[in-house]
Amino acid sequence: MIRYARLTLFLIAIVLIQTTVMPYLRILDVVPELALVATIAIAYREGPETGAGFGFVAGFATDLFIDTPLGLSALVFTLTGYLIGVVQGAMARTVWWAPPVLGGLGGLVAGLLFVGIGTLVGQEQLWALRSLRIVAISACYDAVVAFIVFPIASLACHSDGPRTARPSNTQGW
Amino acid sequence: MLVLLLLTSITLITLDTRSNGGGTTSTARNAARDAISPVQDAVGDVLDPIDDWFDGVTRSGDLKNENARLRRDLVEAVASAAAGRGALRENRELKELAGLTYAPGLTGVDAQVVTASPSNFSETVGIDKGTDAGVIVGMSVVTGDGLVGRVTSTSRRRATVLLLTDPKSGVSVRFEDSGALEVASGRNGSKLLALDVPLDAKVRRGELVLTSGADPSIFPGGLPVGTVVSVRSPAGALSQTVLVQPLLEVGHATFVRVLGAAVEGGSR
Repeated sequence: MIRYARLTLFLIAIVLIQTTVMPYLRILDVVPELALVATIAIAYREGPETGAGFGFVAGFATDLFIDTPLGLSALVFTLTGYLIGVVQGAMARTVWWAPPVLGGLGGLVAGLLFVGIGTLVGQEQLWALRSLRIVAISACYDAVVAFIVFPIASLACHSDGPRTARPSNTQGW
Repeated sequence: MLVLLLLTSITLITLDTRSNGGGTTSTARNAARDAISPVQDAVGDVLDPIDDWFDGVTRSGDLKNENARLRRDLVEAVASAAAGRGALRENRELKELAGLTYAPGLTGVDAQVVTASPSNFSETVGIDKGTDAGVIVGMSVVTGDGLVGRVTSTSRRRATVLLLTDPKSGVSVRFEDSGALEVASGRNGSKLLALDVPLDAKVRRGELVLTSGADPSIFPGGLPVGTVVSVRSPAGALSQTVLVQPLLEVGHATFVRVLGAAVEGGSR
C-alpha cells in the first residue's frame, strides 16, 4: 500500500515538473518526456505488466495537459512500458549504461509510435520530417534525464534492482 | 491486462476525437489544468527571470543584430510617421465605406502568457485568463504587433492558444498590395507561415500580410500577420509558394489581448 502511495506521489511530481518546469528547459526547442522516462524506469525495475500499467496512468496524466487526443500518450506509454519490461526480462545482467540506453531507445520508440498512431487518429500535422528531428533530439534528452529519473524511480519502487534480472555470474544450468 | 489498457486507450482516443473539444474528456482536462494553475504561476514567477537571462545569453548575437535593425527601422518609422497619419485617416474612411469587418476599436481581455507547451508536437501557450474572464474557444489573440493565434481550449482560469506557426493553424489572409486572398498555415520545421498563391498574383518580398476577415474565418479582418520573406515559383509549378515571417516571435509574447470578436461556426 505504501509502495503504491509512493509511486503515486512520484507520478504526480513527475507530471508537475513536466508541465511547469520543463517548458523552461527546452533545448533546440525540444523538452524531454519525463513521464515516459519514468515509465521506462518503472518497467525496467518491475517488468512488463507494471510498466504497462504505470505507463497508462502516466500517459493519461500527460494527455490532460497537451492538445493531442486524450489517450494517445496513454496508449504509447503503455506499449513502451510493456516493451521495455520485456527487454529488461531478457537482459542477462544489470549494467550501468542501461538507464541512458533504455531511456534513449524507449524515447525513440515512443516518439515514433506517437507520430505513427497520432497520424492514424487524425493528427496529420505529426507526419512530417520535423517530427523525426523532434523525436531524435527528445530521445537524446530522455537518455540524459534517465540518469536522474532511474534512481528516483528505484526509490519510489523501493527495489534494489530489476526483479527478473539474473546475477552477472550465473552460468549454464 | 495489456489488452485491457490498450482498449481503454483506444476508447479514450475515440471519445475525445468524437467529442470535438467538448464532453467528459474536456471536463477532465479543464479540471486538471485549473488544479495545476497555482503551481504554474509560482514556478513561472521563479523561473521567468532565469529564462530571460538564459535567453539573453544564448541569443546575444541575434539580439545585437536585432538592435541594429531596430535602430534603422526607427529612423525610417519616424520619417514615415507623418505620412502615415494621413494615410490612416484615409484608410479609416475607406474601411467605413467598404464595410470591412475590422474595426480599430475591438474590445478584448488582456492576459499574461504563463506557460509554454509541455509537448514537443504542438506550438501552444497558456494564458492566465479563462472562461471566468469571458474567454471562449475560437477567439483571436493579438499583441501590439499583430496576430498571435487563436484560443483552442479554455478552463475557468486558463486558456490554451494555438500559435500561428503551429502546422494545425490556418488563417485566411490578404496581401496588402496585391490584394490576393489565401490561407496561411504553420510550416513544419520553421517559424514561418506558408501559403500557395496563384501564379498571376503579383506578390513581392516585404509585402505586409493581414487577416482577410473573409467568411468563414474566425479572425477579424485587418490584423497584421507578417511580411513576405520568400516567393518561389519552380518551373512547371501551378502556383507560387510564399513564406511569411510573423511580425513577432509568436512564442515569445508576454502579454496578449484576447479579442472578444469570435465568429461562431468557422474552423479557421
